Amino acid sequence: MSLVHINIFLAFTVSLVGLLMYRSHLMSSLLCLEGMMLSLFVMATMTVLNTHFTLASMMPIILLVFAACEAALGLSLLVMVSNTYGVDHVQNLNLLQC
Amino acid sequence: MFSSLMLVSLLVLTLPIMSSIFNTYKNSTFPHHVKNTISYAFITSLIPTMMFIHSGQETIISNWHWMTMQTLKLSLSFKLDYFSMIFVPVALFVTWSIMEFSLWYMHSDPYITRFFKYLLTFLITMMILVTANNLFQLFIGWEGVGIMSFLLIGWWYGRTDANTAALQAILYNRIGDIGFIMAMAWFLFNTNTWDLQQIFMLNPNLTNLPLLGLLLAATGKSAQFGLHPWLPSAMEGPTPVSALLHSSTMVVAGVFLLIRFHPLMENNKTIQSLTLCLGAITTLFTAICALTQNDIKKIIAFSTSSQLGLMIVTIGINQPYLAFLHICTHAFFKAMLFMCSGSIIHSLNDEQDIRKMGGLFNAMPFTTTSLIIGSLALTGIPFLTGFYSKDLIIETANTSYTNAWALLMTLIATSLTAVYSTRIIFFALLGQPRFLPLTSINENNPFLINSIKRLLIGSIFAGFFISNNIYPTTVPEMTMPTYMKLTALAVTILGFTLALELSLMTHNLKLEHSTSVFKFSNLLGYYPTIMHRLPPLANLSMSQKSASLLLDSIWLENILPKSISQFQMKTSILISTQKGQIKLYFLSFLITLTLSMLLFNLHE
Repeated sequence: MSLVHINIFLAFTVSLVGLLMYRSHLMSSLLCLEGMMLSLFVMATMTVLNTHFTLASMMPIILLVFAACEAALGLSLLVMVSNTYGVDHVQNLNLLQC
Repeated sequence: MFSSLMLVSLLVLTLPIMSSIFNTYKNSTFPHHVKNTISYAFITSLIPTMMFIHSGQETIISNWHWMTMQTLKLSLSFKLDYFSMIFVPVALFVTWSIMEFSLWYMHSDPYITRFFKYLLTFLITMMILVTANNLFQLFIGWEGVGIMSFLLIGWWYGRTDANTAALQAILYNRIGDIGFIMAMAWFLFNTNTWDLQQIFMLNPNLTNLPLLGLLLAATGKSAQFGLHPWLPSAMEGPTPVSALLHSSTMVVAGVFLLIRFHPLMENNKTIQSLTLCLGAITTLFTAICALTQNDIKKIIAFSTSSQLGLMIVTIGINQPYLAFLHICTHAFFKAMLFMCSGSIIHSLNDEQDIRKMGGLFNAMPFTTTSLIIGSLALTGIPFLTGFYSKDLIIETANTSYTNAWALLMTLIATSLTAVYSTRIIFFALLGQPRFLPLTSINENNPFLINSIKRLLIGSIFAGFFISNNIYPTTVPEMTMPTYMKLTALAVTILGFTLALELSLMTHNLKLEHSTSVFKFSNLLGYYPTIMHRLPPLANLSMSQKSASLLLDSIWLENILPKSISQFQMKTSILISTQKGQIKLYFLSFLITLTLSMLLFNLHE
């Protein structure tokens, strides 16, 4: 595949690894989620523009909308955790342990 | 001649009120004018009464057509029948004496002219009430006496207790007014009128609802059990007010209303039983409460309430004419009892507690005489005034087919009447003086002596006089066994003896800690304590909770959102085995993804 595609794909992979492996702040995980969303958006837009598949050009927009919603949800969870503990260290999320 | 004289005597009463715009109001002789006006009105009203007694002819005067609302015609109409023709002279006579008494009692009051104006306005509204031929005019009089009662009870408005008592009177009367208005509405719907003649002529069949409404109105106005606490509290007003309103005239308005509707009541057995039981409960309960009170005016107030219960009992055994006779005779001796207590209170420098009186037997002979005669008349000693009505009531109740429990209550209350009368006499008059040595005992004022003397003669002779001159209505029971005839006398003598024995025996003993029976009687059966606190608290807290908590916190917050979150948390704690190691989970996810990518070459 072309260099541009590999570039975007690499961005996606880096964000994915950053989402799944982080030290202690929940915020970094959310930021990487946004990064994943951004790379997917660019990939989709490029593919649609290259193949002149005009009908599918609404897909990136809708992806953007849903990503915004999930970002808001993620942030509200972060705020809840931050309200209780003051910091968003992930080792604090241990209320469900048996 | 008859009708015009009656109208003149009623009109004469309104003259001093209308003259208040002139200069005579500012004079200090205005009270004398009022007293003279009432005496003239009394004498003028005697003539139509005697004409009525001679001929037995009733009259209805319909004067002025006020308005017609579709099919309802309202006009100013006076019904001058047996009840109103006899009540008007009696009420005017008693009011005349009370006015003269209050010339002495309220002598040092700076607003004495306003006091007399209020008393006169009260009298006018009472006259409107008793001579009303339609329910609308009766309601005008009804509300009028309520308002004047409020103004007069709260006469010394600087005193908190007086304001509370006046407000209490208005509130309890209002609850009774609901019944009155319900009855008016029913009559308007079902008989298309508020005129008494048309209602009695149509004789409607199912009269349960309006008669219940009228019974509720009588309960409120005449202080029957359930709506009774306002009457003892109304003793916060000056003694002439207590004598006029709360013994002779206003509180009998409720009984008068039931008497007016006796053609409807004699067909309805259910309402009669209700009336009988209500009156029996009232008379016994208030007599029990009167036994341990320490304020002389409160004892007499409870005595009034007990006698009102007796009148209601009489209506319950279908004897409206006997109840009316008791109203008329009761006015005399009860007003006199209040005036004697006013004389004692003023002489002992505003002392109302009977535990601080004593030994007045020798110091105030005239007041003593009238107090003893008033008490004897109250208990129904033969051939004094009270005998002619009270004894007849007890005899009729004994020989009629009625509720035995109600009869027993009435008999016990009759003996308790003697008990608390003895208590008053014993504490206030007999024994050694318990008041302060520097006394101002003086009963030499001609106003005081003349007014009490007039009512004294009335207390002794009025019963005989009235019952021999009225025409026969319902025939009293003529034959009965001797023990039944003597029942009232026997229980009264029993009451006197018991009370005197107990008083003399325990006079020098130490008062131990109050027993529960004493506390029940002294705190009025705990009725005001419970009913003035619990229902208002419950109502107000319920309304506050429903207004603020119900919509906001329950419906909007708690039902869906919080309940769902609580449920989720509880169940997830219940069924989960996690330890919350998020990084481990994310790492394992990444490793799984990478391994699957490498093993299966998915990107190719």
